Amino acid sequence: MAAGDPAETFRQEAQELIEQLEHSLLDLEQTPTDRDLVDSAFRALHTIKGSGAMFGFEAMAAFTHHVESAFDQVRKGKLQPSPSLVGLALEAQDIIRAMILEPDCDLADRQKTVLDQLAQLVGSAADAAGQEAKASAPASQPAQKQRWRITFSLARDAMVMGINALLLLDELRSLGHCTVTALTDAVPPLAEIDAESSYLRWDVVLTTDAPRSAIDDVFIFVQDDANLSITAIDLSTEGRLGEILVDRGEVPRRVVEEMVASRPPLGELLVEAGQVAPEAVKSALAEQKHLIRDQADSAKEAKAASSIRVPAERLDELMDRVGELVIVQARLKQQANSNGDPLIKAVAEEMERLTSELRDTTMSIRMVPIGSLFSRFRRLVHDLSRDLGKKVSLVTTGEETELDKTVIERLNDPLVHLIRNSIDHGVEGTAERLAAGKTGEGEVRLEAYHSGAQVVISVKDDGRGLDRVRIQAKAEENGLIPPGAKLPDDELFQMIFQPGFSTAKEVTNVSGRGVGMDVVKRGIESLRGTVDIGPRSGGGTEVTVRLPLTLAIIDGLLVRIGHGRYVIPLPTVEECVELSLADDARSSGRSFLNIRGELVPFIRLRDLFASPLPADPYQKVVIVSLGECRVGLVVDQVIGDHQTVIKSLSKLHSNIKAFSGATILGDGSVALILDIEHLIEWAQEQTDVAMLEAGE
Amino acid sequence: MEVLTLGLQGEIFALEADIVREILDLVPVTEVPNAPAFVGAVINVRGRVVPLCDLRLKFGMERSQSSRDTRIVVIEVLIDGEPTIVGLLVDKVYEVTEITADSMEAVPRIGLRWRPEFIRSVGKRGADFVIVLDIEQIFAPGPQSNDLTAA
Amino acid sequence: MSKNILSVDDSASIRQMVKMTLSAAGYGVVEACDGADALGKAKSSPVNMVVTDLNMPNMDGLSLIRELRKLPEYRGVPIIFLTTESDDEKKKEAKAAGATGWITKPFKQDQLLAVVKKVIG
Repeated sequence: MAAGDPAETFRQEAQELIEQLEHSLLDLEQTPTDRDLVDSAFRALHTIKGSGAMFGFEAMAAFTHHVESAFDQVRKGKLQPSPSLVGLALEAQDIIRAMILEPDCDLADRQKTVLDQLAQLVGSAADAAGQEAKASAPASQPAQKQRWRITFSLARDAMVMGINALLLLDELRSLGHCTVTALTDAVPPLAEIDAESSYLRWDVVLTTDAPRSAIDDVFIFVQDDANLSITAIDLSTEGRLGEILVDRGEVPRRVVEEMVASRPPLGELLVEAGQVAPEAVKSALAEQKHLIRDQADSAKEAKAASSIRVPAERLDELMDRVGELVIVQARLKQQANSNGDPLIKAVAEEMERLTSELRDTTMSIRMVPIGSLFSRFRRLVHDLSRDLGKKVSLVTTGEETELDKTVIERLNDPLVHLIRNSIDHGVEGTAERLAAGKTGEGEVRLEAYHSGAQVVISVKDDGRGLDRVRIQAKAEENGLIPPGAKLPDDELFQMIFQPGFSTAKEVTNVSGRGVGMDVVKRGIESLRGTVDIGPRSGGGTEVTVRLPLTLAIIDGLLVRIGHGRYVIPLPTVEECVELSLADDARSSGRSFLNIRGELVPFIRLRDLFASPLPADPYQKVVIVSLGECRVGLVVDQVIGDHQTVIKSLSKLHSNIKAFSGATILGDGSVALILDIEHLIEWAQEQTDVAMLEAGE
Repeated sequence: MEVLTLGLQGEIFALEADIVREILDLVPVTEVPNAPAFVGAVINVRGRVVPLCDLRLKFGMERSQSSRDTRIVVIEVLIDGEPTIVGLLVDKVYEVTEITADSMEAVPRIGLRWRPEFIRSVGKRGADFVIVLDIEQIFAPGPQSNDLTAA
Repeated sequence: MSKNILSVDDSASIRQMVKMTLSAAGYGVVEACDGADALGKAKSSPVNMVVTDLNMPNMDGLSLIRELRKLPEYRGVPIIFLTTESDDEKKKEAKAAGATGWITKPFKQDQLLAVVKKVIG
């Protein structure tokens, strides 16, 4: 498969298709009645047109459309594949090829000739429209809040056909304040229910400033069988139940007015009196609540956005409680599962959903923009630049990037040191800079951004850069590498983070005592992050710090190997497959699985962990991805999703990098959390050792 | 000095009482693959994941066989300058008792089965010798072997 | 855990574009170049959703959709077809065969992602 650009792939594909087309057409000249040739020509034209339009060849697609239509007529028997038609098609094919491969060529005349003659042959006015003009976006109206009443049901077999009502409702919710009432009157008794059929109908009240078309869009795949009705509700309604019912046509106004006179709740009375179905009242009440909430919302919006200050320890306590809640919730889930009572299980599921939402909310409370840290550094840079007699400016980007509060605090010292280093050792004095052809003022850049599940913070300067020779010399001097060793750049530069390493010729007050970089690295690693240093293209040095977004709780996949249970971070998991006995028996030495045509190496964790138990007969493989590469981890059992509260391992185990931490399971026992990157390294080491021993 | 006396394969050892946090019955143990045998597992102590050390292994004895008397002594010890909570797997816990200064003798350099660096002193409890351990030394990182038997 | 999508089209460039778009958004992608290939792959590794062209050799899209709906594990799986026509007849035919929804060609990456999100979230 061609890497990179689909448009490039299309060009190659188009060439093949055009050749195919040419062959079909030439053969068609000889045997005009061969239906297969007509089909093949049509299909080639169809694909060229369809794919071409996708990859920027709209004009070509529009032109091809006419030829394709002509061949469609032939397919349907309405047009004969005469020699002149085939001749035209061959000329058209030439033009198409040119339009794709030589876009600068002016083919307007040739195109016109072909199209005119084609039109004559086909006999009907060439569909002037050609490619349908895309409907232009409706003139944008000022976004205004509007309240809508939406009712719909689904065809009985909608679920079988892949429609998910929950997703439709979620889409509606994404448009604004939404209240949903599910009406169950059409649900048959339990004994008669077919689990694959859809019996519910929904009444939805939606307040949104999105246009009506956005609502229609939600239902485009179901509107034919959905009994869909969308009506606007007057925003100024007082929201009385009676009004709503009358508005919906459920009951005459006169009846409502008569009832209002008595004391009991209107809805109750109406139902008792048989004037209105209970479902209708239920739904109207929902609309009423929705209206009241809308009014409260508008009042709130009128007030300025408010915030409060909270002592940091309270937030920490809150996080601890949430962490404990997550653990207890896991116990509840386990109990509920072994208990089997569906009512308890339902409660446990509800608990799980609430705990997860609580966890998300608490996490977000603790997120603070890194700008608060960056602004402290302005003063630092100013003072340093004055103290060291160098002109330095600080440029920051990504101040709005958010990080967990504790992480920000613990980043302060490492970042201060990195900035000091840049200014002290990296950026040169004004004279030296000018002599080197640079601007007199040096620049230190602080950048922060999110990348996947990580935050990346980089400290860049446009100074002297890294002196490879001096670094190599210092590393040899400190006994870190044997003399004359040849290391790849990134490994050599990592030496800078070793204790006692400083190539500074002069030790200034600021830095250079050699105590700095290793402390920086340890500080970053204690945040479960990584730090790298390297040269910048164009001169200068770049230090890149990568940190995981959350410290405390992650989503994990709980698995069992032998007696032990382990957690695999869910974001790394791609899929789980079974390890067939055949694959298991077949592989010794190189272990690979064939996953849909791709060879994926796998690691038997029970071997790596020296599990004494014999392997389960039906082992599972959890495919994880690390950047570009995918690896399978063979486990005895995949237990399931698990909200994992991370507990750190003590110093005694902190050098076993394959385990990044541990967690307490629902039954009180401990599961170790796998660090995929180091796990793979460890496995690699084992295979290397085994290969050495086997004398390979 | 107040000590907690404990038994390992019939021998009596002692720890300073003030580093002892609590004493637990045997709890479910989670093995840590690739860990040194001495600290081969972790346990859950009140929601904290704590390493479990098999002291017998440090003394070149065979791995503990759990019995009704087996206990886990949870202590707090300085490792690399940091206070760390650690669990010690022992065969039996006797009691907290006083060892008076005059009953303590200096560690003899010879004639002792155990490496002297890990012993603080030798005392007496009734008719038995009690070997007071220097826990910090036992956990001190360094190029020591994981074996306390005298070379 | 990631959701997997079966992408069926005889055009390599379309397959490539679909795969790039969906993988970048975190979906797993299985590819097939015609209906027969797709049916085989659908059986051996069940997916959460199918996106298929209609005009293909070796079993066209409509037949593929009908065959998929016969498989018990594909009841309830959304099947989206690609169509170059805004031809309502074709859409009716496809829905009758069991399709869930459609995307009109040519389409941009965000249009594809919007439909995928719509049917499997």
